[in-house]
Amino acid sequence: MHGLGAFLAYRLLRAFVALWLVSTVVFVVMRLSGDPVPLLLPPDAPTVEITRVRHELGLDRPLAVQYAVFIGNVLHGDFGRSIHFRQPAMAVAFAYLPATFELGLAAFLIAVVVAFPIGVFSAVRRNSPLDHAAMGVALVGQSAPTFFLGILLILGFSLWLNLFPTSGRGDWRYLVLPALTLGAFAMASIARITRSAVLEVQRADYIRTARAKGMGEFMVIAKHTLKNAALPILTITGLQFGTLLGGAVVTETVFSWPGMGRLAIQSIYNRDYPVVQSTVFIAAVLFIFINLALDALYGVLDPRARAARS
Amino acid sequence: MKRGGRGSQALSRRDFLGRAAGLGIAATGLLEATRPEAAVAQTTQKRELIVAQGGDVSKFDPHLSTSSNDIRVSFNIFDNLTSRHPDGKLYPGLATEWASTGPTTWRFKLRQGVKWHNGDPLTSADAKFSIERTYDPAAKTLVATVFTTIDRIDAPDPFTLIFTTKKPDPLLPARLAFYGGQIVPKKYLGEVGPDAFNAKPVGTGPVRFVSWTKDDRLVLGANPDYWGGKIDTDRVVFRPIPETASRVIAILKGEVDVITQLPPDQVARVDRSPKARAASTLYAGLYVLAVNSKVKPLDNPRIKQALSLAIDRQAIVKDLWRGQGLVPNGPIAKGDNHYDASLPPLPYDPAKAKANLREAGYKNEPIYIETTVGYVANDKPMSEAIAAMWKDVGVNAVVEVIEYSVRAEKNRDRSFKGMFWSDPTSTLGDPDGMMWRLLGPGGPQDYWRHPEFDELGNAARFSLDEKFRDQAYKKMTRIFLEHNPWIVVLQPYELYGFERYVEFIPNPNQQFEVRRFNFRMRRA
Repeated sequence: MHGLGAFLAYRLLRAFVALWLVSTVVFVVMRLSGDPVPLLLPPDAPTVEITRVRHELGLDRPLAVQYAVFIGNVLHGDFGRSIHFRQPAMAVAFAYLPATFELGLAAFLIAVVVAFPIGVFSAVRRNSPLDHAAMGVALVGQSAPTFFLGILLILGFSLWLNLFPTSGRGDWRYLVLPALTLGAFAMASIARITRSAVLEVQRADYIRTARAKGMGEFMVIAKHTLKNAALPILTITGLQFGTLLGGAVVTETVFSWPGMGRLAIQSIYNRDYPVVQSTVFIAAVLFIFINLALDALYGVLDPRARAARS
Repeated sequence: MKRGGRGSQALSRRDFLGRAAGLGIAATGLLEATRPEAAVAQTTQKRELIVAQGGDVSKFDPHLSTSSNDIRVSFNIFDNLTSRHPDGKLYPGLATEWASTGPTTWRFKLRQGVKWHNGDPLTSADAKFSIERTYDPAAKTLVATVFTTIDRIDAPDPFTLIFTTKKPDPLLPARLAFYGGQIVPKKYLGEVGPDAFNAKPVGTGPVRFVSWTKDDRLVLGANPDYWGGKIDTDRVVFRPIPETASRVIAILKGEVDVITQLPPDQVARVDRSPKARAASTLYAGLYVLAVNSKVKPLDNPRIKQALSLAIDRQAIVKDLWRGQGLVPNGPIAKGDNHYDASLPPLPYDPAKAKANLREAGYKNEPIYIETTVGYVANDKPMSEAIAAMWKDVGVNAVVEVIEYSVRAEKNRDRSFKGMFWSDPTSTLGDPDGMMWRLLGPGGPQDYWRHPEFDELGNAARFSLDEKFRDQAYKKMTRIFLEHNPWIVVLQPYELYGFERYVEFIPNPNQQFEVRRFNFRMRRA
């Protein structure tokens, strides 16, 4: 118990350091990248006007002062006001979170539900035509640009077959095409990793032993193979989940999905520092949380990992 | 309204053609042949108009934004004192009549019986408050520069306004029709404060705010008590569809009724569709390469003349714009006051360009075009085409691609290395609102000075004598064509996609208004 407590405290400390580093880097990079004020004002705004607005936004203060104010406010949970929307930046970012979560989760579920059985099946029936077909599709899924795939799906399933709407957010039908588009890459990589992990385990001695004892093939896979192949699959799956939640920029743009990835990109273009900081902060928290959860799961599944980490 | 990519606009402009020319449109073209024929949809029973534009609205308070995505919305929720219709002329808005009552005074009569969306009556106090608010430092608006000619506003009775200007201002009624001039409710704004007003705007316009889901949909309900009569639909919905290919498919499928920023190479495709059609209106403005005439060798007028002569504008219109544009004849856009129809289109003469360069002693100095991708439609392809044409006459042309916000900063610091794209808009339908606003002393494109040009520009700005102004702008055009502070490239068409049952006359300056005088849905 002592070991687990220390482990968690250590991980928590590391999480805070990571968040602080990420926020600082974003703070500095955004301010070096450009000034939001010329983007806000009409192109013929005179210099006095630009100076006034810069002063109101506090952008005329030294970078160190701006940074101190920023950190001080963040410690009070205040991420500043969006320059573009004139609303609290964190509230703006949070307003986009449900849509991103919905899309990310749907993409993840589609990916896992499809990829896992395909991966296992391909491994068990390796070198069969079905294995080749599945892995071929997976390769295409991993290499097709998201933008291209998205437009193809819209053309095929909405303009041509008229099954789903082209864009926007509404009932479940709106979710299908963007989730497929976003999930394609994860689906392909999970399927491939699952296949190789299962193949790896099937070569192990204890599988041979189990077969020698006369255990049926289904039991061999269900009882021994999957449990031992779970670790690499879990790792890749967890990482994919984080990626899906964090960066769905292209999919969100193609399908006009009101998610946080699109907000982040627009805010970068607009130099809306507070919103960029808020979205990156949320994404960082999600990643760190998922990593922590993965580590905990590792500990449960593999006692050796627990011993090594405490 | 400058089409400039402020706000979420930045993204929409960036991908206007960059993406359209890319993978997506290629893919859509490929599969098009296999699309089954849909039923011809010339009429509809719909009571909802869905408008898709390239980016979402960011603010509703009309004094807090000049982004075209915001203005397309705010011109429907709010009214101005005067109104510029698609024919380019000024019509009554919240003011029914106006007249100049002295060299520096204008009297406006307000419309009676107009109600705000919350039921309050409109009075001259609202109008006085609104215009004063634009330049009140405490209100922190972003349109503070629009009404700098005004000295004082008086509201002697509830339906009269008297403007006193610092100098004679012939364009005041035109200024009031444009952004910054939207009239906001004094009482409501005072009660709820600017944040709540921005979140839940109240105007006098043909539609009123119902709900907004950011980056998804904005729902506006028709105002049944609108002074101009209820519009021909119950709801107007604005949807942001940033991806050009997706926006085109949405209009082909009939999921939306109107799309903005249709790329020229998609016009034929939309027109072939049984459901949709393309519509265009000549843009009230020009696409120009603005020149930093302070850097060498662009300080030499001969060299700029050569650069202008070396551009084959017909080819640009034909190949890059699929015919959706005009070759201009000078710095005044067709359709504006004082446009001189007798001038010939800008000539293409590479031999003369070469001779000019030789005589000017051009020594192969690099000439830069700093271009964005999608700040104005087709900017990068046009830059590359023009650089190639310049190379043909022996100019060392260099194209550099910069990001939109970098452009905004260079614009502010006036630090361009040579040429940059600009799309001067005739905000006032007059050379003063376009050429002189940008090129005048202290203006955002003040890179070049000429005493006679300056004298004429200043005199024309403050003259109420249209004959004098006409002469002044003719002389200024002559000086302009000698010195080329801009190298004028083309006047494009603004392109829209409409469902076939939508009848809509678009406004040339992108002021998107859904009103009775320009919109109807054809019903069976």
